[in-house]
Amino acid sequence: METSASLRHALLTQREPTLTRIYQRTFPLVRRYVQQHGGSASDAKDVFQDALIVFYEKAAAESFVLSSSVSTYLLGIVRNLWRRELNRRSQLPLTDLSEEHAQHMAEEAEPAADGRDSLPVLDYVAQLGERCQNLLLAFYYFQQPLEQIAGRLNYGSIRSATVQKFKCLERLRKSVRTAVAHAVAH
Amino acid sequence: MRPALERLQLIEHHLLGRPTAAEAAQWRVQLLTDAELAADAATQQQLYQALHEAGRRQLRHELELIHRRFERQTRRRDWLQTTTNHLRRVFSRQPRASQ
Repeated sequence: METSASLRHALLTQREPTLTRIYQRTFPLVRRYVQQHGGSASDAKDVFQDALIVFYEKAAAESFVLSSSVSTYLLGIVRNLWRRELNRRSQLPLTDLSEEHAQHMAEEAEPAADGRDSLPVLDYVAQLGERCQNLLLAFYYFQQPLEQIAGRLNYGSIRSATVQKFKCLERLRKSVRTAVAHAVAH
Repeated sequence: MRPALERLQLIEHHLLGRPTAAEAAQWRVQLLTDAELAADAATQQQLYQALHEAGRRQLRHELELIHRRFERQTRRRDWLQTTTNHLRRVFSRQPRASQ
């Protein structure tokens, strides 16, 4: 069984091959479980990918401790998520929504009135150049070691990658601020 | 680094890093007395949330690609298995050459 530290290291430094290996080993078990519990192969894919995201985010945290095999751990997450999904589905109304209910749901889905909360900051991340986006996601979400990021993106040193990271963050902040100012002005 | 970048770094230290208890206490006071700093910290927190969400989307995309590859490999393996089984059956039915 892999130790938590070696698994974490593999995930952070060799994400794609590590996730592929985990996928190949565990997905058949998950598919069987979901299909035996009222779901389809497509449900199994969705719930497994959700579980892998939860798993990656937990594993990326330094405090991560794996007390079983990766497959067992993931199956545990899948069971919880699938149970929750079945509950959600069982509460869905069997008849069509009434017009009044549909209107109510549409109102609830309206963006918040506060311009700041409804700002699509995510869109500004997508508008950053590919290089900046890669750098920021690698560091802040994928938690890759800065040394590896510097090497992969051809920065001369960790220091220069750090400066570049803050420059990219500054660019993102400027786009958001400009949008806020624009929203307030109109 | 430019002062503007150092300010981002300082805020990051307090939002994502491990400030000491004394630093954290001082930070709380600064936020109460410096509205501009508090606004900057709130915006920066928003940026981190957006980056987290963008990272999730990226990971989901990568998992989708892994899934497609996995399905292709499984189909290929199943096809090979079926073909091999078929050939085995065909050859096992043929009478052996007389010795």
